[in-house]
Amino acid sequence: MTIRWLIILLTLASFNNLDAHPLRLSLCEIEYTSSTKLISIHLKLFLTDVNEALLFNPKSDELAFCQPNEPIKANELLLNYINRFFYIKANGKRISLKIKQKRLNGDGENTALLVYFELSQPVILESLEIKNNIFTDLFFDQNNIVYIHLDDESKSIMLNKKTAIHKLEF
Amino acid sequence: MKHQFQLVFVLCFFLLNSCKENRTSKNSKLETEEELIERALKIHKKVLTLDTHADTPIRMIEPGFDMSKRHDPNETGSKVDYPRMKEGDLDAIFFAAFVAQDIRNDKGNSRAKSLCIQMIDSILVSIERNSDNVGLAINPQDAYSLEKEGKRAIYIGIENGYPIGEDLSNVETYFNKGVRYITLVHSSNNDLADSSTDPKGSEHGGISKLGSKVVSEMNRLGIMVDVSHGSDSVFYDAIKLSKAPIIATHSNARAVTNHKRNMTDEMLRLMASNGGVVQLTMLANYLREVPPNIELDSAIAAHRFKMKDIDKMTDEEKVFLRKEFQEINEKYPTPPATVKHVVDHIDHIIKIAGINHVGIGCDFDGGGGIEGVFDASEVMNITIELVRRGYNEEQIAKIWGGNLIRVFKEVQAISERIKSDSSA
Repeated sequence: MTIRWLIILLTLASFNNLDAHPLRLSLCEIEYTSSTKLISIHLKLFLTDVNEALLFNPKSDELAFCQPNEPIKANELLLNYINRFFYIKANGKRISLKIKQKRLNGDGENTALLVYFELSQPVILESLEIKNNIFTDLFFDQNNIVYIHLDDESKSIMLNKKTAIHKLEF
Repeated sequence: MKHQFQLVFVLCFFLLNSCKENRTSKNSKLETEEELIERALKIHKKVLTLDTHADTPIRMIEPGFDMSKRHDPNETGSKVDYPRMKEGDLDAIFFAAFVAQDIRNDKGNSRAKSLCIQMIDSILVSIERNSDNVGLAINPQDAYSLEKEGKRAIYIGIENGYPIGEDLSNVETYFNKGVRYITLVHSSNNDLADSSTDPKGSEHGGISKLGSKVVSEMNRLGIMVDVSHGSDSVFYDAIKLSKAPIIATHSNARAVTNHKRNMTDEMLRLMASNGGVVQLTMLANYLREVPPNIELDSAIAAHRFKMKDIDKMTDEEKVFLRKEFQEINEKYPTPPATVKHVVDHIDHIIKIAGINHVGIGCDFDGGGGIEGVFDASEVMNITIELVRRGYNEEQIAKIWGGNLIRVFKEVQAISERIKSDSSA
């Protein structure tokens, strides 16, 4: 899992090798495996964007994500923000998100915060509605690529300010 | 009689040359800005304009995105659609199918292939739906024949060789779907090659053994080898390994802007001796150093100092505060990269490598877009700046597509030779 996160992070951190990532982009991977009945969600967000969104300061270290001195309010503020701009509905029902794991990777402006959610989906997945307009409150041209892997099938969509929600039926 | 005829001939020759000099003099000294623009636009319309790199396929996977409609780039961030290609007189473009690097195992490779094919199919569907205005181009001459039909030529590339996985037959699969260049690697190392920007550094020392087989297969099939995003060693390996000239679909000159995605003068010289081409890109950070903006930094710092504790703010207060910060940013904008920076790079590449080894690959929808060339509708501003600096029609034709088409033809000719040699 660590290696996988590292690889994805490196890609996120430099879609075009942009030191200050002027390309406004985030990556999200949603995976459903029928054998384990689990939905996993990886959100990969630039740390500077997270700090700007939560604290109005891209370089702030107040929330010290993934550090020993991370304050209790960090997860609360992060989840509150994510819930405003991101959700998934499995079979029409919005899933309550709880952060299972977070990780930091990369250097400087390219540091990314990876947020991992894992959810039980005991009933066969018939539809998936995804909302992802994260950071569109900061940047008009923010794009959020979403990769959806359902067992052996993969699909990609792009969501943004104009097209924030998309529903897939299986 | 014979001498009289010769005298008349010589006088006519000098008279004609004198007229020619006067016209040149008018162009360079007496031509008004309006006349210069008019002349530039005529050249822009006349020559084949080919952009070798756009990440527009990531727009095509946006549900409901319609390439036949004109989009406002200031509202949506979108940089390319067919109406804006027409507005900008952009005749041909390579749409790059991009898949983000993920885990390098069978499962990851299989997913990458599936996502890549989905993206290529989205390009093909878009072409089919808009067949009155655009056409699929798979050979060099297609750009010219489609232009004659009044259609835009759509070529297909792959950005990141990750979807090839470890299966060489995938190269032919993509070729059969219309792919005519493959960027070996993207922003992190893959199984084929090292990236210029992977924080882990070199893994293969350039192109891997698998990568060298992929290059050979690309040569055999007639797919151009793209070294943009690769480390410097990838460039040198590609020059050695490829039997055909190579390309850099979106890279600039490092001597002008010191960025590891740009190419050194030594690389530019080698590109020239290889017969390849470097396509200039419109990414601001590759075009110029970001200038300091003290006024903006001071205003932001002062506003932050007055801010109430985040924990005590309501959502409404946060929205209001966001608006205030956006207004400050608009009040003190950072000087942007401009078309002058673009042509500074072109000038330098021509000085080092010559006129036959430079082209244009804007990287629209992948971060490309600067003041004056913000989207596909504004690409004629590059031509205007080239004319302003004294480039003539023949030179501009080479920069805007002629050089890339020359390389493309050479790549196909070498492919034919390889195929005939192996069947002999």
